[in-house]
Amino acid sequence: MNVATFPMLSLILFFPFVGVLAIAVINSVEIAKKIALMTAIIELIATLIVTFSFDAEVAGFSQVERYRWIPNLNAEFLLGVDGISVLFLPASALLTLITILASWNNVNHLSRLHFALLLILESVTLGVFTALDMLLFFLFWEATLPPIFFLIGLWGIGAQRREAALKYTLFMLFGGVPLLFAIIVLATNHATQTGELSFSFLQLLQTPMADNLQLIVFLLLVLGFAVKAPLAPFHTWLPTVAMQAPTQISALLMGLKLGAFGLLRFAFPLAPHAAAHHAWIVALLGAVTLVYAALIALKQTNLRELLAYLSISHVGLVVLGIASLNEQSLQGVIFQLLNFSLIASGLMLLAGFMQQRFGSTELIHLGGLAKVMPKMTAFFFLFSLASIGMPLTSGFPAEILLIIGVMKNHLGLGIAALCGAILGAAALLTFIRGSFLGAIIYENLKQTSDLRPREWLVLGVPILLVIIFGLFPQIILDTTKHAAQFWLSRLIF
Amino acid sequence: MKNLVVFIPLIPLLAASYIGVLHLFSVLDGEKSERITARMANYAIGLSCLLALALLGTDLFSQNNDVLIVGEWLNVNDLSIQLRFFTHGFSLKLAALFSILLFIVTRFAVNYMHREAGFHRFFFVLSLFSAAMLMLVLSANTVGTFIGWEIAGLCSYLLIGYMYDRQTATQNATRVFITNRIGDAGFVAGIGLGYLWLGNTNWLEMGELANPLSNQQAELCAFCFALAAFVKSAQLPFTPWLARAMEGPTPSSAIFYGSVMIHAGVYLLFLIQPLLAHAPLVSMLIAIVGLFTAIYATVVGLTQTDIKSSLIFATSGQLGLLFLECGLGFWELAIWHLCAHATVRAYQLLTAPSLLVNVANNPIKPVNAYLAKNTRFYTYALQRFWLEPLTDLIIVKPIQNLASDLNYFDRHILDNLMGSPAPAIRAISSLAQAKEQQIGAHLNNNENSFAQGSGFAGKITQWTADILDWFESRFILRGVSKDAIDYGKRLGRICQSCELMLLKPRYLALFVFITLLVAF
Repeated sequence: MNVATFPMLSLILFFPFVGVLAIAVINSVEIAKKIALMTAIIELIATLIVTFSFDAEVAGFSQVERYRWIPNLNAEFLLGVDGISVLFLPASALLTLITILASWNNVNHLSRLHFALLLILESVTLGVFTALDMLLFFLFWEATLPPIFFLIGLWGIGAQRREAALKYTLFMLFGGVPLLFAIIVLATNHATQTGELSFSFLQLLQTPMADNLQLIVFLLLVLGFAVKAPLAPFHTWLPTVAMQAPTQISALLMGLKLGAFGLLRFAFPLAPHAAAHHAWIVALLGAVTLVYAALIALKQTNLRELLAYLSISHVGLVVLGIASLNEQSLQGVIFQLLNFSLIASGLMLLAGFMQQRFGSTELIHLGGLAKVMPKMTAFFFLFSLASIGMPLTSGFPAEILLIIGVMKNHLGLGIAALCGAILGAAALLTFIRGSFLGAIIYENLKQTSDLRPREWLVLGVPILLVIIFGLFPQIILDTTKHAAQFWLSRLIF
Repeated sequence: MKNLVVFIPLIPLLAASYIGVLHLFSVLDGEKSERITARMANYAIGLSCLLALALLGTDLFSQNNDVLIVGEWLNVNDLSIQLRFFTHGFSLKLAALFSILLFIVTRFAVNYMHREAGFHRFFFVLSLFSAAMLMLVLSANTVGTFIGWEIAGLCSYLLIGYMYDRQTATQNATRVFITNRIGDAGFVAGIGLGYLWLGNTNWLEMGELANPLSNQQAELCAFCFALAAFVKSAQLPFTPWLARAMEGPTPSSAIFYGSVMIHAGVYLLFLIQPLLAHAPLVSMLIAIVGLFTAIYATVVGLTQTDIKSSLIFATSGQLGLLFLECGLGFWELAIWHLCAHATVRAYQLLTAPSLLVNVANNPIKPVNAYLAKNTRFYTYALQRFWLEPLTDLIIVKPIQNLASDLNYFDRHILDNLMGSPAPAIRAISSLAQAKEQQIGAHLNNNENSFAQGSGFAGKITQWTADILDWFESRFILRGVSKDAIDYGKRLGRICQSCELMLLKPRYLALFVFITLLVAF
């Protein structure tokens, strides 16, 4: 089979629906779970095939598939991957697989729907990463909302899960408006320049655009993606969702930073002149978010909220990196985004395991867990170290690239990033001290069980990857190198 | 021969991962497997020690090259971070000395830690620390040194918190680790600046390239590294963390804070020696900080009543002197001082637990005569000059307060401004409501509005919806006939009274005044 010509991406996008169909037809929870698992495994293998057959030397898009979709609007079903997006495919597939395994035994009602929705979410998320037609991208972007709405609203662990689901959806719809607007402006601009509408990302990249129009498009795209990322002041949905949503969904949301990916993929390349001159707005937004969220994280007493704020702070650093516009920061950004799918989600899943055991992740209900749960403690500690950028974990190369890149652009912002890193470490370690270390005060904690084989196997894969990428960062950097250089070369200073 | 340098940090790392993984999965656990763990750790560090000595021997007889380049760890554009090791000179000598000390302490700990609950954990951390420390000393690249630096700090955290069920131990560990993060940030900033201004991340090249650097740049770059050195070697104002670190088991105190890790800061100064030659201000700062630390630690040390505290303040004092020597440029003296101090202090701290037995019949030494006379000064010294409460007051408290304020702002102001929707379908909470819904009655009429929202955005949406709804039902649905005329008349009356009021001279004067204020 020739991978280069085989419509691999379409297959990846549509295969989960086969699983969904099977789950819908078969009326047995046990079999449905196994079907979901098998589908996720096949998806992972398929995305890995795409990743390994990807030629990193090519700067442009490969695996491009083009079908007619809406001829009247000249919108196509256009898919493709490049060095920036290709690694996100296995990352999302792996994360979905982990999520399915993590929710294996703890979804008791409507289990079939739950697993079906997870598969649908996987499909549309992969669509976001691969779509090269702006309308198609927008379709996938908005299509992530219904599954998440139901996943939060139906299986949330907080009392206000329905409100949280609504809040999330409204925020995202609000973010979608400027995006759609920007896409329309881009398409009409193409029409005025060449005489016909076009939504193709590849064509829009070549379309000349007036400076003031570029600025409008840039700001609209930044606004739209900032809500999803999330950047301050649009971040308030994430702590709410982290508290109310099922932890595996929070893990998915925190692991896959679609907003930051959108900034990287669309906002900067589509308005290259405006981006080069107004990147400081984004940089400032990122720096404020980074320090602001890290400071707030210091005061959190609930693990899930703490992780939410730390995640926001990390997004701040990533966005600051994107806006720094140099190769080091850019490679660091992609690396760090991939790290999130391993680290942030790993920590959140561990929070979920705690929630299942004790019914709470609140600091005052915990304490001294290290004595009774050594494995849990070790895993949590390892993920935390990766999260604060300790050497030998993948957090370190990503963070050092980001910080050096940011310093190259602006020294002051680099110092701010370093301060944020100290605060983040302080927040996480203080929480570890309160929950895992110290003496056991509550009786119920003494009778708890450590991580079961299913649980530590689920988390063992991300841990292994974190260590491998930490020791050999060049594996990832080589893949993203040419795409990053090409990305930079497009910006007009 | 020189290729063997790679194995010096690698062997203890392998031992550490072996012990760590097997202990995590309970293969190595309890007293039975103590022998395996102890052997593993001992052989690993012993082998490293032999390698380091062999390498030192070949270096003494035949001159090795300066560095060995193993390969590239990371390469982005012109940022190239190589895995390279010193195979010559002071670094190798220090590696040999440290590995001997590490071996002695590891061997000592086998008996000392026997039947302790965390036996395997202790040897895991100790092996990891050995690897980190040897990496720190041998790496000829800033990032490599930093990797060792960070991991050593992490090990220090793990061993201070060795008795993790004790409140003070965990508190101290966390505090020490976060203090050390400040130095780490300085180190990263130094690496970044070195790369930006010198285009290189290797120690030797950085030194060679330092010449064209402007004075300010050299000062700033050197200051970042010096900050890292101050923190790691517990110089003022970071000295208090060292006393907190004494919480760990004695062998770890000996190796971390008595002899090996504490000298990492001084070693860092050796590495940036060429840079310091261009940064006279930072050199002066190093000398002054060293001097004050020496005085501070000596005075405080005189009033300490337990053996480990007084030893650690003595260490602090000697380190102050080392910094003073480095700041003044007496590098050769500092080298000898460092090696001698490391050896003596390791011995002293290892024998500290049995010291009380050894000196059982000796008379108690009186407090220093000067201090005994000046009681106020004595109190100052006893309280360690309130250095730690002071830093809490100046740095930690304001940050905590700011964090509290921001947290309040985020939760109560920003969240409301951004809005969060009220439940769309209100849950039925009482039987009466259920009945009510069944018969289709709506008793509580205040909830008949369809859209509900909270927060700024939510409320605005709700109000807009309400107004439009009202408008539609009153004007469009009921027809323009009755209500519209009524409301129109009422509106007309209100407008008329407004106009009458505005035409009164005092309001007119007020408006003119406001306009003038705005205009000028």
